[in-house]
Amino acid sequence: MTYALICLPFLAVAVVIAVIASRRMTARERRRRWIATAIAAAILLALTALFDSLMIAAGLFGYADGTRLGPTVGLAPVEDFAYPIAAVLIVPAVWTLVRRRTLERVPRDERAPRAG
Amino acid sequence: MTGFAYLGALLVAIAAMALIDARWRLAFWRAPGAAAAAVGAGTVLLLLWDVVGIGFGVFFRGDSEFATGIVLAPELPIEEPVFLTFLCYLTLVAVLGAERALASRDATASRDTLPSSDETDAASRPHRGHA
Repeated sequence: MTYALICLPFLAVAVVIAVIASRRMTARERRRRWIATAIAAAILLALTALFDSLMIAAGLFGYADGTRLGPTVGLAPVEDFAYPIAAVLIVPAVWTLVRRRTLERVPRDERAPRAG
Repeated sequence: MTGFAYLGALLVAIAAMALIDARWRLAFWRAPGAAAAAVGAGTVLLLLWDVVGIGFGVFFRGDSEFATGIVLAPELPIEEPVFLTFLCYLTLVAVLGAERALASRDATASRDTLPSSDETDAASRPHRGHA
């Protein structure tokens, strides 16, 4: 249980930042972002199942007894999948927030319709 | 030499990701500051997560022959921040690459029709029949 509980606050931070970034987007950008996030998440989760298992099999790291929920995908404990989920939420969100701020400093005239 | 297998593989993977990034100008080759902030913020969050996990005694370092054995802190090998950096870089390239593919698909779809505007363009929306 310990590991799952540790995941929660970090997942929450990632979700909050993703929502903040999402609210700064136009409807079209937002739609595109969530589809892209779903595609990237599918890739990342598949890679995690494969490579996390390989890394555990290679003895790179281990988990203390009694700290995990139990279910695994290959050798990877389900909690490990929280890492790529948090990454796919927070990383593009920070990208968007920083880019938006940079672009706002240099106003793009094609964005605002000219008022007469 | 095998002690550098994992670290070496991570660095090769990061370099390969940089080639993809450079080829399609997705992240560092498009907006280096934003890319650095995004990968940096993700890496810091995941590294803190590791530190909390280590603090609660969940994770421990294996004595793998593929790892250097160099640690930054107890149970935190030097390979871990490199791995997390790779994971975040891969994530950014995957999301921005998917967005690029979606955008170019939308552009192809609307190129065949009249010049579009957000107000009037229904071509990219699914046809819902007559009301």
